[in-house]
Amino acid sequence: MNATSPESPLTPPPAVPRPHVAVRSGPAAADADGPPKISVRGLDFHYGKQQALFGNDLDIAANRVTAVIGPSGCGKSTHLRVYNRIYQLYRDQRASGEVLLDGVNLLSPATDLIELRRRVGMIFQKPTPFPMSIYENVAYGLKLHYRLGKGEMAEAVERALRGAALWDEVKDALDRPGTALSGGQQQRLCIARAIAVRPEVLLMDEPTSAIDPVATAKIEDLIEELKRDFTIVVVTHNMQQAARVSDFTAFFFEGRIVEFGATRQIFTKPVHRQTEDYITGRFG
Amino acid sequence: MRRRSSRGRKAADAAVRAVASLAALLGIGVLALILAEVARRGAPALDGAFFTALPGPPGVEGGGLANAILGTLALTAAATAIGVPLGMLAGVYLSEFGRDTRLGAAVRFCVNVLMGLPSILVGLFVWTVLVVPFRSFSGHAGAVALALIMLPVVARTTEDMLALVPHALREGALAVGAPRWRSTLIAFKAARGGLITGVLLAVARVSGETAPLLFTALNSPFWPRSMSEPVANLTVTVFQYAMSPYADWQAKAWGASLLIMAAVLTTSLLARTFARERTR
Amino acid sequence: MTTNRHATAAEPERRHPRPWGDPLFRGLAAAAAGLFLLLTAAVFVELVRGSELSLAKFGFSFLWREAWNPVTGDFGALSSIAGTLISTLIAMALAVPLSLVIALFLVELAPPAVAKPVGAAIELLAAVPSIIYGMWGLFVFAPFMADHVQPFLSARLGFLPLFQGPPMGIGMLTAGIILALMILPFITSVMRDVLKMVPPVVKEAGYGMGSTVWEVARQVTVRYGARGMAGACLLGLGRAVGETMAVTFVIGNNHRLGASLFDAGNTIASALANEFAEAADPLYLSALVELGLVLFLITFAIQGLTHVWIRRLERSAGRGL
Repeated sequence: MNATSPESPLTPPPAVPRPHVAVRSGPAAADADGPPKISVRGLDFHYGKQQALFGNDLDIAANRVTAVIGPSGCGKSTHLRVYNRIYQLYRDQRASGEVLLDGVNLLSPATDLIELRRRVGMIFQKPTPFPMSIYENVAYGLKLHYRLGKGEMAEAVERALRGAALWDEVKDALDRPGTALSGGQQQRLCIARAIAVRPEVLLMDEPTSAIDPVATAKIEDLIEELKRDFTIVVVTHNMQQAARVSDFTAFFFEGRIVEFGATRQIFTKPVHRQTEDYITGRFG
Repeated sequence: MRRRSSRGRKAADAAVRAVASLAALLGIGVLALILAEVARRGAPALDGAFFTALPGPPGVEGGGLANAILGTLALTAAATAIGVPLGMLAGVYLSEFGRDTRLGAAVRFCVNVLMGLPSILVGLFVWTVLVVPFRSFSGHAGAVALALIMLPVVARTTEDMLALVPHALREGALAVGAPRWRSTLIAFKAARGGLITGVLLAVARVSGETAPLLFTALNSPFWPRSMSEPVANLTVTVFQYAMSPYADWQAKAWGASLLIMAAVLTTSLLARTFARERTR
Repeated sequence: MTTNRHATAAEPERRHPRPWGDPLFRGLAAAAAGLFLLLTAAVFVELVRGSELSLAKFGFSFLWREAWNPVTGDFGALSSIAGTLISTLIAMALAVPLSLVIALFLVELAPPAVAKPVGAAIELLAAVPSIIYGMWGLFVFAPFMADHVQPFLSARLGFLPLFQGPPMGIGMLTAGIILALMILPFITSVMRDVLKMVPPVVKEAGYGMGSTVWEVARQVTVRYGARGMAGACLLGLGRAVGETMAVTFVIGNNHRLGASLFDAGNTIASALANEFAEAADPLYLSALVELGLVLFLITFAIQGLTHVWIRRLERSAGRGL
């Protein structure tokens, strides 16, 4: 366990073991080198009076893809939405516990949300191009966070579009509206927009659930590419997808992390009965 | 890449939030001030005589606006009796029969045109067709002018509300052999809340109208006896009294304004509660 | 009906008991719908017919002649048309930015405990009859303009002809401001609806990029709702152009065209409201009806524009995000 960060005196003492503490498989952790990029400790989440997450503990390895799976309503999206504190847009949503990004608790009131969200980018279920041109979409975050000349900006936009494997398809149509692209292209545009600002972590909330199979395959290939530069957490309800793209998998059930480990271990020798039932399709 | 400090952005954000909140409060505050002022100046005029007596002669204090209150009620009721059934029938046509027809599209365009027609032009139009030929301003003309303002509002609301009723409901009725008019009746029942809201809003709107009455019902210092004569009404009275040089009449104009405002706001509030019932 | 239901199930091709019911119903509905076509045409035809005398005498020059003399029978619409356009312009220039700011405040900034009741109150205010604004304008706001606002404007901006002249309180500027206050709740509530319809996930994406509230509002929300808000403005414009009572009380009813916004003026609607019931001479009446015809054509043009705009809006919304 990480030490409590000095910025957050309000953090509760290390949690006593809970009945549903995740089963961590020793050898799996050895896949990751170095300290975890994100460490979640004792994360609780409430929608108003209703508790949605219960004492989540999780380590996200740097430059790896971590998949979060579980039946719908199990809290996997809620969990992801804590990492960039996007949940805070809604007044009745509360998170407590610790989420350490490079050892610093991002739930601390001192966190600069603008900087946090530059470091932790997010891709949503539905593509969310802004009502502006393709170029402006990608330049959007760059203008917010960087001071670039015209040429530098164009370079950075191109780099981001190449990184999202979209450049060849749109290089002659950069001033067309982003909304005119196909669904799969729109989603890659959103990925380009997110990676343009050079984040450290990419959160993907069911990024292919609104997209056709061919476009899905492209995005899965892209995820494989992206993990060289970014730490990726992907929420998915598609277990084949989790098996294909991820290095680690966390299985959520009713707001708790039931099992967490290396993906091939989770999919071949799950420790928990619930995990096995879920991945073999017996429920969910 | 060279980073940009977020300090300026945060300052701009805070400044805009403050200015927007202030501007919003200012706008809302002025509107609230208007209502408060009408209440403050109007309340003293609303004594017993205001509701029971006829107006006094120009320049003489005292009297009331009972005739105008009655007249406004009569004009609004007559307008509702004309405007609501016709408007609803047209709405039924648009939603049940004219969904994709040429006539439907043309009618829909006309509904929009009439909805955007300035109310003073409605008065002008009714003057040419109902006042000039009969050589007299009349309650009939006033009621028709108000009905013309209601018509497009009611037609549009009816169409919109019926469109919200799921098709399965009508098909269910048709499938068991009900005639078209009966299936429409069922749709009407399902859309009841929304329709009542629409009608109440239309009533609220016309009960505060002045311009269409200026050259139709005109005004009168007497009790409303017949709809074929000029009929006293509150809004034109406000206009005439406000422009008069008599302090007492101006005070009565404030009283009448308060009464109109209260009636319109109450009706609109009532409409909102029905609308809420619908969404529930 | 219950027996009918069983009977229908047993013999589906059974004839209807009252075969005239449906055709009658359909005919009635179609007739009521047809009434709208008739009315729209009749309004136009009657206005043209009523204008015949004036049209014959002045022709198109009616539109740009400034004369308005009932005694000599010399009429022109210039001051009324200009007054209509100027008062509307002032009203829109004040009301549109303020509505936008209030709508943004209600949707993005205010806590729900404030936004809900205030939003509802603004919707209610949109129903307040215009004569109330006229009363307030004449007795409360015009004196305030004369005592405070106009002297202040003269002192600061008096070098401009727009702000010269005696501070009378009533006049073009006052009329424009009252008009603005009258359309403010209306435009605000439509804009609020438009902003509310921007999908939350698009705003989340904006915040997710590290934008501030203002940046999301300006760069994402407003752009997303731009067309809807333009529609709201067109609707407000239609209302302002033809508004009678809010203007008539405070504009001063003067057919001369002044250079200053402090000068008394008139609009088409206010001229009709003030003069129509008293006009006896046929040519005078005809000139007034022709003013009405001009107003009809102006609102018709705005209406047409709104119609096209909203159709485009619906088509692009149908394409999805």
